[in-house]
Amino acid sequence: MWLLLLTARPACAQAGLDQERAEYRRWLASSPTSPLAAVAQQPIGAGLRLGPAGADLPLPDGGEYRVLPRPGGVRLEGASGSRIMPRGAPIKAGDYTLVVDGPGGREVLTVFGPSRSSKSTAYYGPSPSFVFVGPLAPPERRGTSRVLGMDGIEVDAAEAGSVLVPIGGQRVRLRVLRLPLPGGEESELEIFFRDETNGHGTYPAGRFVSLVPAAAGRYRLDFNRARNPFCAYSSAYPCPAPWRGNAIPAAVTAGERYARGGGEAP
Amino acid sequence: MTLASLAALTALWTAPPSPAGSWRAVLDLEGAMLPFGLEISGAAAGLRARLCNGRRCEPLSGVTVRGDSVVLEIADYAATISARLEGDSLTGQYRNVGNRGPRLIPFRASRGRWPTTPAPAALVGRWDATFFSDFGSSPRVFQLRNGPEGLEGTMISNTGDYGHFAGRVSGDRFALAHFDGSFVYLLTGALHGDTLRGVFHAGLRTQTPWIAVRSTGARHLKAPTEITTADTSGPFRFAFPDLQGRVVTQSEARFQGKVVLVDIFGSWCPTCHEAAPALVRLYRKYHARGLEIVGLAYEVTGDSAIDARQVRRYRDKFHIPFPLLLAGINDTDAAGETLPQLHGFTSFPTTVFLGRDGRVRLVRAGFYGPATGAQHEHLLAAMEREVERLLAEKG
Repeated sequence: MWLLLLTARPACAQAGLDQERAEYRRWLASSPTSPLAAVAQQPIGAGLRLGPAGADLPLPDGGEYRVLPRPGGVRLEGASGSRIMPRGAPIKAGDYTLVVDGPGGREVLTVFGPSRSSKSTAYYGPSPSFVFVGPLAPPERRGTSRVLGMDGIEVDAAEAGSVLVPIGGQRVRLRVLRLPLPGGEESELEIFFRDETNGHGTYPAGRFVSLVPAAAGRYRLDFNRARNPFCAYSSAYPCPAPWRGNAIPAAVTAGERYARGGGEAP
Repeated sequence: MTLASLAALTALWTAPPSPAGSWRAVLDLEGAMLPFGLEISGAAAGLRARLCNGRRCEPLSGVTVRGDSVVLEIADYAATISARLEGDSLTGQYRNVGNRGPRLIPFRASRGRWPTTPAPAALVGRWDATFFSDFGSSPRVFQLRNGPEGLEGTMISNTGDYGHFAGRVSGDRFALAHFDGSFVYLLTGALHGDTLRGVFHAGLRTQTPWIAVRSTGARHLKAPTEITTADTSGPFRFAFPDLQGRVVTQSEARFQGKVVLVDIFGSWCPTCHEAAPALVRLYRKYHARGLEIVGLAYEVTGDSAIDARQVRRYRDKFHIPFPLLLAGINDTDAAGETLPQLHGFTSFPTTVFLGRDGRVRLVRAGFYGPATGAQHEHLLAAMEREVERLLAEKG
């Protein structure tokens, strides 16, 4: 039995939204590992050669490096020596920044360049009508599946259940997965969804939104906090494939927008 | 004197607001409040701050005050607490940054210390807990007791304890927190008859429900000596550079015919900090009779200069007299690959006991720190017994 989600009180739901957006903008504009600075993302496989033309990943004005899977971790080898690349930690390679991520045996290298695109973020105005609170129905079948997270990295996600959302005059069931975060104890309940704004104001491939625990065993679903996968900022990232069933037959005019080449209002 | 000049004089004598003092601080997680203490002392550019979980306090790396803005730096974790000081309250956010963007958790504090709230006897003791997540269920053990500042204790998994938790009790409900600037853990629960039920909060919004029953003494967690196994067909091999860059191997003269403890640790690992004094005591007590210890450090950056600096600091902090080698990075899978004779390596620290013939006799995963009380004492005694037993073996 699927239970109906109810519309939440707007004052509570919007708390902190402006600050979150401002912090995210600052991070995009300034972090060396901002997706706006990403130039390549590729599975490491048996090893990657970086640098000169003809390399697996050519880096203009960069030195020559090799990224190699070795017992004890992925190693970066260059003219100045060899070092281990801890998972998730940014490593400088000349003017570039390299990050290794992903589970053991399936590591992925992301390369960030010295400059970044001028894209910014744009959002729909806060809308209380896109905030819902209610229960999470258990999954029909427990289990895990491999999906891409918003940063293009593959993770083993657990089926967490589904929510039934009253939206656009219909009740739409959305599948919820629990995506693990680095460190082991933390995870996020995520919904990757498509809606009628995709390609008409929002990113064509869909958007992520988190399901957040609220009081009394209920959850808050706030589409004002819907955000683009990193492939919206840089074609270096692969886009997650749409999750089965998560298509909303209505325009979700809330959360992050998208305009090709910039963040101006579409 | 005009009114204007009087006002100017008064302004001269208005002291800027200072955050110095004790603070009852809170992180507002989704659906719960994580309490901790802040102690700020000194004045002007010399302000210092400590972050406290009950009676356990750790220094923060810096305090900056500009006008009514207060920023507490937690450099080890690239994190900050930024707040506005208004009267007797601080309001702001805890912030750290990862590769997926900033993580923000609302922060607030008011002047004073958290009141001591002793726990009822029905809550104190050892509890066998089961955590239920979408990934499956897993065991934990809670050890709860009354300390000088009220309810305290720890939580233990198959791979070790989560450090010191300090808490508050209200009727049959309790909340135990551990916030060290990076890990954000809160255990909330209530007594229902002879069962505890609650939620473990990790970070802003990861919530894992659990149920616990009073421990009967039967084994609930895997034994620490059954988690990691070893190939015992030949001597245990290692070859890693020391802090001067010289490669040290198991075949050096200092290890020949000796009982050797191989301490697999990281300077970033709080439980390793708790194990270090115990290892130093063992070394001082048994070295003359033939005990050697070697520490294999798995560090954060993979940059040997930075990692060596961190390990030197660790060595000096605990006055460690045995060699520490830079073995790799703190990735459990990657670390395991550097020691292919170990199978199922899962935790820092792990202690490998070698007999006088260099072969593995025992692998003990994790370490029960002082927060585990009797279990800590029991472990220290067991480690001594094991060393004594190995020393008594003929070479």
